[in-house]
Amino acid sequence: MEDLELKQLWTSYNAKLDVSIKINQKIAENTTELRVKSLLGSMKPTKIALIIFGFLWVIFIDTIIINTFGIASVFFMVSAIIQVLVTKLAIGLYIYQLIMIQQVDTSEPILITQEKLSSLKTTSLWIARISFLQLPIWSTFYLHNGLFVLENVLPLVFQAISTFTLTYLAIWLFLNIKIENKNKTWFKRLFDGKEWNPVIQSMELLEDIKEFRD
Amino acid sequence: MDKLTENKLFESILSEYKGIFFKVAKTYCKDEDDRKDLLQEMMVQVWQALPKYNSDLKLSTWLYRIVLNIAISYYRKNANRQKTHQIVDFGSTDFADIQENESNQNLLLLEKFVNELKDLDKALIVLYLEEKSHLEISEILGISTSNVATKVQRIKEKLKQKFKK
Repeated sequence: MEDLELKQLWTSYNAKLDVSIKINQKIAENTTELRVKSLLGSMKPTKIALIIFGFLWVIFIDTIIINTFGIASVFFMVSAIIQVLVTKLAIGLYIYQLIMIQQVDTSEPILITQEKLSSLKTTSLWIARISFLQLPIWSTFYLHNGLFVLENVLPLVFQAISTFTLTYLAIWLFLNIKIENKNKTWFKRLFDGKEWNPVIQSMELLEDIKEFRD
Repeated sequence: MDKLTENKLFESILSEYKGIFFKVAKTYCKDEDDRKDLLQEMMVQVWQALPKYNSDLKLSTWLYRIVLNIAISYYRKNANRQKTHQIVDFGSTDFADIQENESNQNLLLLEKFVNELKDLDKALIVLYLEEKSHLEISEILGISTSNVATKVQRIKEKLKQKFKK
């Protein structure tokens, strides 16, 4: 099939489009509603809710840290500080995503807009990476000096094993959750689900964009 | 741009370029309900972007950028997004798929082949079939004209091979 035939074939599509569209009056009157309904706008409410929840959690943990400083065990204190730092980093990334959403302009060239949108989506992976770093603290925050006595040797061995395992897992996940591993079985299992599909697809699109530019 | 001019421009875009909306939606979205949702999203985005439209840029270039950007981004939207409360009435729109008869055979084949392409290649071939110049395609996609020429040639060859089979 020659170029001209292909184009003629495509043009015949027009004849098939028996369409008449009329725009509801709301489109001219209620732009606020449109903004909420829009694709990008729909990404904002969840992020704003997560930021608010995160802030409340940080205030709660910070208050506990300040009020129990010097009283609570050093294990609790260190665990709480690590947890709150990780949460603050995650909040920072959510704020970054919100700023990026504001900057997306759909009238920019396709590759520029798609790169911004895909990068925005894949920062969710960074939030996952950082969040996994807090794994070990859930096995340490309840410890105190009184537990470290000879009678507790066996439970302490189990404690040490679980803390080291969680620490290893947290560091391993932090280092390995990246685009390059998206086809590995563990990665697919870990990020299996509707909420992660857009992130995975964005990672694929980022690769396509790179290839498309070459 | 005042409200009245905006409204008029929007109406003229819809009547003059409605083919762009429908063909791009059909290329990127096979499900009829999702397609209506996508079409609405495209129109909403065009409407919202109108105040920022810079007349230095060709209207069709600006429009293709928005429509294609939305179509490519669409699959990454939250699947649970509410589809009720349609803002746009599609009137007597015919969304039915092309009937399979002899005269439509090649059109169906073309549709099938385009559908098999990656999203960015789909955008490129749609623009080529819409008879856009390499310069305009490069402005819409954001790649060099020489890159456009190479890629168009490659995809055209692919399509021709498929039709030969």
